[in-house]
Amino acid sequence: MSNTEASFPPPGTPDAPEILEIRSKQVDYSRPLPGTYLTTGVRAARGYRFSKFCMSLMDVAKREALKADPEKAMAEAGLSDYEKQLIRDKDWNGMLRYGTSTFMVLKLSNALGVGQNRTGAAMRGQTYEEFMATRNVKEAS
Amino acid sequence: MAGKGRIIGGLASSHAPSIAVALNTGKDQTAQWKPLFDGYQPMIKWLEEKKPDVIVLIANDHANTFFFDKYPCFALGVAPVHEIADEGWGRWPFEPVPGHPEFAWQLAHSLVDDEFDIAVCQEMPLDHGFLTPLACTFPPERRWQVPVVPIVVNVLQPPIPTARRCFKLGQAIRRAVEAYPKDLRVAMFGTGGLSHQLSGERYGYNNNEWDHQFLQLIEKDPERVARMSHQELMEIGGADGVEVIMWLVMRGALSNDITCRHRNYYHPMVTGFGQMILEEPNDGLGARAMAAE
Repeated sequence: MSNTEASFPPPGTPDAPEILEIRSKQVDYSRPLPGTYLTTGVRAARGYRFSKFCMSLMDVAKREALKADPEKAMAEAGLSDYEKQLIRDKDWNGMLRYGTSTFMVLKLSNALGVGQNRTGAAMRGQTYEEFMATRNVKEAS
Repeated sequence: MAGKGRIIGGLASSHAPSIAVALNTGKDQTAQWKPLFDGYQPMIKWLEEKKPDVIVLIANDHANTFFFDKYPCFALGVAPVHEIADEGWGRWPFEPVPGHPEFAWQLAHSLVDDEFDIAVCQEMPLDHGFLTPLACTFPPERRWQVPVVPIVVNVLQPPIPTARRCFKLGQAIRRAVEAYPKDLRVAMFGTGGLSHQLSGERYGYNNNEWDHQFLQLIEKDPERVARMSHQELMEIGGADGVEVIMWLVMRGALSNDITCRHRNYYHPMVTGFGQMILEEPNDGLGARAMAAE
């Protein structure tokens, strides 16, 4: 998967081929960045409802509701089945591919009690310990 | 030019929230953090000695001040007092930061007259992008002695401004300061970077070599950075490393007669941290005229 990905119509979300053609001159689509998902073009729009849900977790009551009964909180937020599954699976990279901004994913993972570097390790497909071993300072602050 | 405003120099620093947490929890002298906090000492002293009348502080929001329902490419805070943003985990334990409405409103008019159509915000709470560098350069007893005019740059939600545009914003800020009719000594403060990526399989990407090169370029050859595309910046510095374009706003407001008074680099975990002081000659009165646009 890369930022050149031309179409990604998840179940239950409307595809919009005309805006999938949107391109930025600042991005070289012939040189996709490995392991990087940019919310350019349609992705940001597709991920908007999900991003709004992540943003709502700024409210401590919403965070507690999500922790207490995730299925109920997700249903009340009107998330699609696809979006709910991203959360059930803690599929951080899936969220990014879907069009969720990095900082929205990090707000969500934090609300679910997963720290930033644990989230990052999972994105890399590593354990937390494996990831921390790659750092100059090897213990959390 | 009839104005009396002048720019006395520019500061720059990374702004990761982990830095402010380390400071607030008394970890700044631990082995992990000391090499970074030692790097703030010359900046603290410089601000204490120079006593600028106002700081123009450039940072990005992290979806705490704005949400993607409305996301300005550039925004300017004109409030008399800037509130502290709630990042969802309780407010940072800092007092609200004083602004400078008179200068900020003049800056807004000057920038828009100069075809730089910035969003003008009467309420713009500051998040760690602003608070980390401020807290590290103003010890508790000196908070907040210098008013701050904050400028937000969108580096989160494409389309984000080009590196060139950020450099030009800095140049426009200098023109506005030089046209300001009152005696006003302005310090620029660019934040963010250096190399890092917080998403995808490339999470944790860093490039120490590029970070050092960037610190050289921002002083000696900012034009070269201004020519880089987002693609090039993301390839070399990570997807979130693109935010070094905010240093170009600071640098664009400076002359080419600056002296680098301080430079520090430290990379403990997931972000390359850079710090810098670039000083104008003779307290901002000694620079030769800027090159014509």
